[in-house]
Amino acid sequence: MDNENEYTGADILLKALKDQEVDTIFGYPGGAVLPIYDAIFGQNFLKHVLVRQEAGAVHAAEGYARSSGKVGVLLVTSGPGVTNVVTGLTDALMDSIPIVCISGQVPSHLIGTDAFQECDTTGITRPCTKHNYLVKDVSKLSETIHEAFKIASSGRPGPVLIDIPKDVQFAKSKYIPKKDISFRGHRIKAGSKNVDINFVQELVNHIKNSVRPIFYVGGGCLNSGPQASQELIKLVNKTNIPITTTLHGLGCFPGEDKSSLGMLGMHGNYEANLAMNKCDLMINVGARFDDRVTGRLDAFSPDSVKFHIDIDQSSINKNVKVDFHTNTDITLTLKEINSYIESNNIELEKKDYTNWWGQINDWRKKECLHYEQGEEIIKPQHAISRLYDLTSKNDTFITTEVGQHQMWAAQYYKFSKPNRWITSGGLGTMGFGMPAAVGAQMANPDSLVIDIAGEASFLMNVQEIATAVQYKLPIKIFILNNEYMGMVRQWQELLHGSRYSESYVDALPDFKKLAESFNAVGVRAKNISELDDAINEMVSIDRPVIADIWVDKKENCFPMIPSGAAHHEMLLSKYDKEKPENQEKGKVLV
Amino acid sequence: MSSTSVYPTPINAFKQSKRSVLSIIVDNEPGILARIVGLFSGRGYNIEALNVTVVDIKNNLSRITIETLGEEKVISQIIAQLEKLVPVHSATNLANLSESYEAEICLVKIEFDNNEQDQKILNFADIYRTRTVQKRQNIVVYEISGTSERINKFLDDLNTIGGIKVELVRSGPIGLGI
Repeated sequence: MDNENEYTGADILLKALKDQEVDTIFGYPGGAVLPIYDAIFGQNFLKHVLVRQEAGAVHAAEGYARSSGKVGVLLVTSGPGVTNVVTGLTDALMDSIPIVCISGQVPSHLIGTDAFQECDTTGITRPCTKHNYLVKDVSKLSETIHEAFKIASSGRPGPVLIDIPKDVQFAKSKYIPKKDISFRGHRIKAGSKNVDINFVQELVNHIKNSVRPIFYVGGGCLNSGPQASQELIKLVNKTNIPITTTLHGLGCFPGEDKSSLGMLGMHGNYEANLAMNKCDLMINVGARFDDRVTGRLDAFSPDSVKFHIDIDQSSINKNVKVDFHTNTDITLTLKEINSYIESNNIELEKKDYTNWWGQINDWRKKECLHYEQGEEIIKPQHAISRLYDLTSKNDTFITTEVGQHQMWAAQYYKFSKPNRWITSGGLGTMGFGMPAAVGAQMANPDSLVIDIAGEASFLMNVQEIATAVQYKLPIKIFILNNEYMGMVRQWQELLHGSRYSESYVDALPDFKKLAESFNAVGVRAKNISELDDAINEMVSIDRPVIADIWVDKKENCFPMIPSGAAHHEMLLSKYDKEKPENQEKGKVLV
Repeated sequence: MSSTSVYPTPINAFKQSKRSVLSIIVDNEPGILARIVGLFSGRGYNIEALNVTVVDIKNNLSRITIETLGEEKVISQIIAQLEKLVPVHSATNLANLSESYEAEICLVKIEFDNNEQDQKILNFADIYRTRTVQKRQNIVVYEISGTSERINKFLDDLNTIGGIKVELVRSGPIGLGI
């Protein structure tokens, strides 16, 4: 006999999602999740967004999470449903994005029989999730879901997958609310709650005695929450220390501030990379010494004392050996540094690092982001600059695909707040930006959301336009159309004797007509005189818009530290040539 | 490859590689061994030997012992990566403890033809204080335990006897901090 306090697995899932305050779920139905879809049909707290391919669901969940600070949730069926999200799970793992993926599985008694749409989901996703579960017993379901949310959002965030066989979705058990679950400490990996005061004192002493200090800030600062940004701004203003951010750190510190040197790394600013190379004190706040950032390791910032704040123990001393480190949350640590400086009346204002700033301002005179905009053909850099000028008054969220347009967006669009910049960094997933924009717009219905795209990347998840149209999400897709996989072409030009093997995008669709066929709006700018009008029109239309911006086909992305080169070996323009021996070394790297 | 190869020959990496025994306490749940083994293969670390058994039924804990090779920096990174896995309680490099005890068990089956071989085998078995598990006309099975090095030496000595056939199984090292 049914106990009235017992619910089906599908209902327990819905109850747990409500308990976790989930209001949006991205998904695609299929045989092994039909009981869950049936439960979704009969409720109204959860808005389901039907994507057009599961890859769209996972990137949308990432966009939702990045732009809101909440956990992104998706629901997919067994077999192909879940194999389609493997790229997105890996992307979320690399970029530390909290998402929970619910997948259906064939009924328990069929597991291992090569049943229809069966795959070893936990086996396939084990290396691309922070953790995953196969729930075989419905009485464990509530606890598993709550633990999954806790793990996804604690410490260094990441993706968690819960695989639920179809019979478990039908089976009944009691629901255990979140408040009644006691998490086992060793499983949560939340980092230390106690600030290491020795670290703080060492750091402040080093700041006092350094002459060429720099902050190097990464995505960890973003993941620590908006308060981390506030504390960082306070600390930078107090100390007058220059700050550079990684690709994911953009927005943690206002990009237009005088202390900001902009982004560092492979396509980072000349002054940022030179300052990293020459500094005597490096304060790493939530960055992981990624190879795009460090360049050649044996020449990476040779003369600096290095401090590293990172909640992930495995990021410490992985690529670069540091002198001092702490595994405590960034917000707590920065707060303690600020209050230590205040309560001990340490006057850092008097240390204005005059010589250091003089040196940096000399580097700035190189104007590494300078480009020549002619009278006819649109330079891609100019397109982004104009986009920034014409949209910066709005609270704008920018997503990107992967390639040259992504780097130009990072260089020419300035961010003043965290969570406004959503890009695929670690994995470099083409096709990320448009579904991510869908997710960001769901989380921020009243904001302007723009996917800065290349035509090749955009085509990888083009189907999601239909999702945007169905849910009336007025996302803007701003395509820098150069008819090339631009970054591939750039590397072929620099490293492979301009042999453009398969990097030309032939047989492109007419993007305006493509938009119209989806019931979205298409606009186009073929030359410089049409650019501003196209941007203004795009922004003014309250529907999904594809803007097809025809840009210079041969433009390359500079500055550039070629693979295998060091920070001080940057190429500033196409007239700079790389040393042939470096070219050979770089060719075998990525 | 020519001497101008861009791939540096990692002579130093081999030189600095040393043997470490890692002791890992985990929740005994499905997939935990796959997680750990996958971490090693996915990140390019070596597993020289591996042992896993439940050690605490009440708290559902298993102890996994892995012998690995790598320079110190790599071993620290392996430990940090292991400790990130959700079901892992702790991962310890036994070499970093002030005192630890290590042992391995090995079963050896030896087939021989003549009395001379038998005498030599008996002699080594006596020196190494092995335990006789089974003895038939021309087959003997010994159990030997101790450090891996001691077992290696025993096996090396056996190999000096010509014409015998040796089949064996080893548990891999296990260890405990004291």
